[in-house]
Formats: sequence, structure tokens, C-alpha cells
Amino acid sequence: MGELDTALELGSEQLRNRLRASRLYVVTDDVSLLDSLPGLVQAAVAGGADLVQLRRKREPWTELVDLARSLQEICRRGGALFLVNDHVDLALAARTDGVHLGQGDTAVQEARERLGERPLIGLSTHDSEQALQAQLLPLDYIAAGPVRATPTKPEGVAVGFQQVTAAAQVTRVPVVAIGGLDEGASAIEAGADMVAVVRAVCAAPDPRLAAQRLRREAQAATSWRWIRLNGEPRKSPPGETVLELLARLGVGRSGVAVEVDGRIVPGEQLGTDVVREGAVVEVVHFVGGG
Amino acid sequence: MTEEDRLHLGPATLASRLIHGTGKFPSAQVLAQSIAVSGAEMITLAVRRLHLDGDRRSELEGLDLARYHLLPNTAGARSAEEAIRLAHLARAAGLSDFIKVEVVGHEASLLPDPLATFEATSRLVAEGYTVLPYTSDDVALALRLAEAGAAAVMPGAAPIGSTLGVLNPHNIRLIIEECPVPVIVDAGLGAPSDALRVMEWGAAGVLVNTGIARAGNPVEMARAFAAAVEAGLLAHGAGLAGDAVEGRRGFGASTPAAGLPVG
Repeated sequence: MGELDTALELGSEQLRNRLRASRLYVVTDDVSLLDSLPGLVQAAVAGGADLVQLRRKREPWTELVDLARSLQEICRRGGALFLVNDHVDLALAARTDGVHLGQGDTAVQEARERLGERPLIGLSTHDSEQALQAQLLPLDYIAAGPVRATPTKPEGVAVGFQQVTAAAQVTRVPVVAIGGLDEGASAIEAGADMVAVVRAVCAAPDPRLAAQRLRREAQAATSWRWIRLNGEPRKSPPGETVLELLARLGVGRSGVAVEVDGRIVPGEQLGTDVVREGAVVEVVHFVGGG
Repeated sequence: MTEEDRLHLGPATLASRLIHGTGKFPSAQVLAQSIAVSGAEMITLAVRRLHLDGDRRSELEGLDLARYHLLPNTAGARSAEEAIRLAHLARAAGLSDFIKVEVVGHEASLLPDPLATFEATSRLVAEGYTVLPYTSDDVALALRLAEAGAAAVMPGAAPIGSTLGVLNPHNIRLIIEECPVPVIVDAGLGAPSDALRVMEWGAAGVLVNTGIARAGNPVEMARAFAAAVEAGLLAHGAGLAGDAVEGRRGFGASTPAAGLPVG
């Protein structure tokens, strides 16, 4: 690999603008052969991945420099951002767009000092306290998860979509939802700005098509507005009717009652009443009682 | 069973005088069996938020609700307004016009707030509900609730969930005897003998939840309560020998009624 052409590098502001418009974040797996990763990343970017992260836990970072450089180049040409996991040294050596750190990796402050202002820094968070602490750090996005249990991180305890919502409530930087996701909308509905996947693209029969689908689903969900549903912040797509909201929750109209902004929605209006932005919605049903 | 033995509550006609609660049962299966062996035709329910994520199964899943008269409660209400809101939600969720008005006025004991209970009862009657208010063992309040249009009054034998039995037999009996509408003794009945006693006195029915749900064997206890309620109904119909004794209740004013400066 020769000298990198730094003239084509995105500047600090361009990187961050690109990050804000990003929806799909593809993270490489630990099982694919290293040689297969350029093809995989190429396909993911062609399908619409906005960010790609090289995440390899087995190889020492020094063995990944050439690969990282070539992936950075593939991403740059494809209009995607490229980050490496854990290693600031690797990010520096391959002049990547950024680095993603875990709670146990190099401290964010130290990484920023070594990387300078330009590269993006992302941080994994697993609870609200970590998400809140992250707001004080010189970073560019936070990841919230694992949303679901995932073989990629067998030690991680699933924190659910509630944690994505909680992170979205306290953050000033974009939130990336990660962990067992195979659909683009759910995490965005829960308040995430981006959906990160490993297996959903890397283990897909056709990674390009998988990325395309996920990007489309995530993008479609970004127009969703906040509502308050049973006391919790949730999102609802524009024009959604109460009946459609119930269907999305997996319930029918029988056995439930719906109140919107303090007024009960009569059965015949469930299919026509639209849930407006900021609506306070209560969905109740019968439970045991004396 | 003759027509006279049936209990009429608003649009419902019940052969069984046992109203079965559905809270605090060890499992949905035990609840379903318990209701089945009790022969109850009316069951109580509560209205709560649907869980948005995860397990939505409830203790009611084993029940075909269409087979029962549903008596939703307003448990959790702390004011007449909250009780009315819960009543509206219950009606919307269940297409049942029955409502057990329950407004707690004292947190620690869960004893009802008499003023809010009266207010909620009056307003829900006006809205066309068949209202069964849970009330304290106060005969004057019971009469006021009947006057306000309650389909039945439900005085508590003891605080909710206490299983202490009939704490003030005198008051409960007075309400049963004086109230022009059916009296269904609710709350605190811990043993079948408690239910038997109030039925002997002429209660129209009993509502039992904790006494069955928290028994060692809820299904067998439901059977025992049903038998006790049946025995009490028969006994009342037959006429207790003690009732013939003059001056049984033995009360009278300490203050003379004559000479009151009115009229």
C-alpha cells in the first residue's frame, strides 16, 4: 500500500455533517476471513451503509493496518465513513475517519488528544449513567446497546429499546442502536439516529440487498415524531391512526381502550383518528383485580 | 332455583351469589379453575396500562370473558374524577356498563373515601352505568348511595386484602336490613364462615378475592366459599331462630328524642 491521498479526506465539519445524515452503520464480524472483508464492505456500502466499522478482536491491530487502509479507501469512494474498533494506533496508522471505543478501551479524552480534532470518536454505552457521562466527553456519537442478546457480544446483557430511548433523551450527539437488530425501523422508533448491525449484513446471503433494506427501513422511520405512550416517550410515523398504532403494538381493538389527550377514542374513530405529534396516549386493558 | 332466588343487578340476573375476584391468583390456570368450580357468573377486573414491550400475558388469559358479567373496578382512584375516568376506560375496553366504584381515602388501610365515593356514584349513575360502590360499613352512607341510584352497595367487612372477616357485624347487619337495594359484602372476607354469616343475615351476595386467591388451595377454597354462600342463602330464607327473639339488637338512644326544639 502506497501513501494515502489525504487530499480526498473529508474535513472535520464534512465528517460530522455526514455523520448526522447517517442511518445505517455496518460493523464487520469476527468470523469472516480477513480477505473477504473488502468484498463485504464494498457490498455493504453499495447497498447504502453510511458508516462501516472494522471490528476484529482476534488479530493484533498491527496486522490490520493494510486492511484498514483499503477499507477506508473503499468507503471513501463509496461515500461512506470508516472507523476502526478499539485501536487509536490503528486509526492513526490508516488515517481512518474515526475510531469506536468501548467503555474499557482507551479513554475518550486520551484518544482525542492523540487523534486530533478531525477523526470521529464513538463510544459504547450500556446504561443511562454511561450515556449521560458521555455527554461531557469530546466524542461524536454514542452507541446504546446491546438492544437484544447477540452472539457477537455473548457477555453483554440485553438492555432493550428502553435504553435506546433513555440515551436519546439525554444526548447531544447522535445515538446508534446496536445489538441483535435485523430491522431498520424499531431502533429509530425508539429514538436512535442510526441502526448498527453486524450479522444482519455480514451473515446475509446478499449483504448489499440486506444493507439496502435496512437503510430504507431506517430512513423511512426518521420522520417519526415523539408521542407519550403509556407514560413513556415513543415515536409514531406521520399520519398514523390509533388503530395502526395498536397494530404496531401487536394488539387488536378488542379488550383495549385508548385515551388520547384525556379523551377516550370511540371504537368507530380508532381507524380514522390520527396520532398527532406530542399526543399523550394511554392504552389500557383488563387485568386481574378485586 | 326459583326466580325469587336470583339476584338482579341492573341488566344482569345472577343465580350465583358469589362474585369472584381475579387479582393475586398464583396462575392464570388456577384462577380459571377457581372461577369454574365456584359457579360465579360475575367477576371483577381492573383497568391498567398495556405493557408496551415484552410479556403481555395476564392472569386473565385462561378466561373467556364473554361468558361472565364483568364488573370492572376503579381501584387506584384517589378522587371522584379518577374513578370516573377509569370507569370510562373500563366501559370502552369491555363494553360493560357495570362499574365497581372504589375510591381510596386512606392509603394505609385502603378504606374508601365516602364523599368521593358518593360523588362518583351519583355522576356515573347519571351517565347510565350500573354502579356498585365499595363503601365503608356506614349505614347512613349506604342509604345515601342507594338513594343516589347505586344498583347495590358493597360495604367492606374489613380492609381490602386483610382477610380479617366481619369486623363490625352490627353495622354490616344493619346495612343489610335497612338498605333498599341489594347489599353485597365486599373486602376482608377471609373464610367461608365469614361469607356464610353475612349471607345468613340476608346479604344479597359476597365478593371474594384474597380469601380464595391466597388460600393454600385456591380452587378448593372457591368450592368452599360457594358452598358457604349457598348455605347462608338457604339459612336466611329459612329464617334464623334467633331473629325471633325480641330486642336482639339492643340499641337505643342515650339522649331523649322528645323535646328537640324543631317542628
